[in-house]
Amino acid sequence: MRAGIFAVAAMVAMVVIPAANAATGQVPEKLFKSTADHSKFKALQRDFKSGPEVTKACLTCHTEASKQLHRTQHWKWEFLNPDGQRLGKKHVINNFCISVASNYASCTTCHIGYGWKDDKFDFASEVNVDCLICHDTTGNYRKQPGLAGNVVTKRMEIPPGSGNIVKPIDLKKIAKAVGKTSRDNCGACHFFGGGGDGVKHGDMDSSLASPDKALDVHMDALGLNFACATCHMTEGHQVPGSRYAPTAQDKGSAHLRGKEYTTNPTTCQSCHGQAPHKKIAKLNDHTDKVACQTCHIPTYARGGIATKMSWDWSTAGKMGPDGKPLTRKDAKGRVIYSAAKGDFVLGENVVPDYMWFNGKVKYTLFGDKVEKSNEPIRINHFEGSAGDGKSLIWPVKIMRGRQAYDPVNKTLVILHMAGNDDTAFWTNFNWEKAVTVGMVSVGAAFSGKVDFVATESTWPITHMVAPAKDALRCHDCHGKDGRMNWKALGYAGDPRSGKK
Amino acid sequence: MIKQPSPAYVLSLCLLGGSLMASAANAADGDWKRGRVYYQYVCTDCHKAKAGGPIAPNTRTMADWTSYLKADKHAKGKESLKKYTSKEYRASIKATNKAAEKYADIPDEQLFNDIKSFMLKGAKDGDSPASCL
Repeated sequence: MRAGIFAVAAMVAMVVIPAANAATGQVPEKLFKSTADHSKFKALQRDFKSGPEVTKACLTCHTEASKQLHRTQHWKWEFLNPDGQRLGKKHVINNFCISVASNYASCTTCHIGYGWKDDKFDFASEVNVDCLICHDTTGNYRKQPGLAGNVVTKRMEIPPGSGNIVKPIDLKKIAKAVGKTSRDNCGACHFFGGGGDGVKHGDMDSSLASPDKALDVHMDALGLNFACATCHMTEGHQVPGSRYAPTAQDKGSAHLRGKEYTTNPTTCQSCHGQAPHKKIAKLNDHTDKVACQTCHIPTYARGGIATKMSWDWSTAGKMGPDGKPLTRKDAKGRVIYSAAKGDFVLGENVVPDYMWFNGKVKYTLFGDKVEKSNEPIRINHFEGSAGDGKSLIWPVKIMRGRQAYDPVNKTLVILHMAGNDDTAFWTNFNWEKAVTVGMVSVGAAFSGKVDFVATESTWPITHMVAPAKDALRCHDCHGKDGRMNWKALGYAGDPRSGKK
Repeated sequence: MIKQPSPAYVLSLCLLGGSLMASAANAADGDWKRGRVYYQYVCTDCHKAKAGGPIAPNTRTMADWTSYLKADKHAKGKESLKKYTSKEYRASIKATNKAAEKYADIPDEQLFNDIKSFMLKGAKDGDSPASCL
């Protein structure tokens, strides 16, 4: 009898509690996210002493995951440009922190692996793949600079001698809570490119972790709440939409469910199609000349976080009156000079530059001969023109800088910047020492002389899509106060006035 | 003689206990992302507009926040903190506040827990100290 009562009680509990939860949305919310509750997985019921130990546990079920990852740009940091240039973080030089080479242990904090500290990293290792950097849902997974992508599992002073104590992370708790990627996961690296929040891209910073509609209509945390992967639709861990393989002009239709596509799913057209303007059809006449982003991202860096617009390395290394590395801040408390990096110009709510872009990007790579002149060296540049039939007018951020080069060999140089050693620039502020080590690390000749050249790099603006009401209006581009430099775009004047 | 419980009785206790434990575990484990959104778009927005500026989670320790939340005092003790996360309050502002509208139906305790999760995680000594924009 008693057993019967309890059996009924248990059944009631099983039915009523979930029903109550269903009413509150609690259980269904979790259930809808996944059919697997990782907190119940046997392989995760243990303490982990390192990242690779967690990966080993992941691989017991996700047997092919590392093999998939090994084929991605996120793992290889390498991309072969259609014109044959070998690109990717591993190879390119930029005008922010210059290069990954000679700075692996710091830069690979953002690699999706463990242990890439030099050029001997084992890219075939399955346990070196870091699953948690993309699949952590707790927001507590952190990789500290200088540890070659490894995580802190016991109290550590970072950097050594700094007095900054870093707490260990709870790998077991994090592993048991893994899930789909979110803006927080991607943002942990992509929001902080170039060495800080918003520094590099201008259209990506931590304000996008939980943005409102005014900042981004798609990622609006109170509305559509897109994850990065909603547009960067990933298959087999291959994430489309890399800036190394851009689609300047998508002439395809909106992607339909159930139909297979080989085209880039991250373009605006892949959802909105070719004639998205229903109320003012005239605007559809612009889509063969103007990228959607041009009108719909009127300014970038508008989430309250400044982006770097220029970076002058030539002034780095100054000491203050106290003999310590100098730092200067602006009225808002933002660093505009540091001995470690030089002078910066910051920008918020920046009106983009505009240029024709056909999807091809050409890079100045390490080893390419460069000449110092009045014109800046283009670290990369977008190709395209008004008449090629393949280009659209795109919004871009132009990053300007002055960076070190070898005036005798006429090459941009590799700088050994970070590291707990006597040759790192951030330790000794000695250009010749730091460049010597940097150049040796890649087996390149160095004359022993350092000079500085002006450089420019170009970054597409494609995030921070504003609500339609905030999109550019006709007069924002056309008319006497319009923002377009028509002559630079190849027109005699404003084309609305008939000047072609 | 001690009577052994029947297998059905043991099973029913386990199921009942399991269900209750699962429910309690869910309640204790808040959704920090939802908490972040509410903190950002209700608490912080209101503090910015009417209460002298935002209070970033990383300006207090976990212990500070725990005792603050437990005390349930707001506006220097004049009113209940939980009032501002209650369904009633959300209903009163949802016409003008999208976060309140979006989370209008979340049970009070659950939403409070979500916010608590975010604040403790974002505390000065939390796992992921959080500032306000």
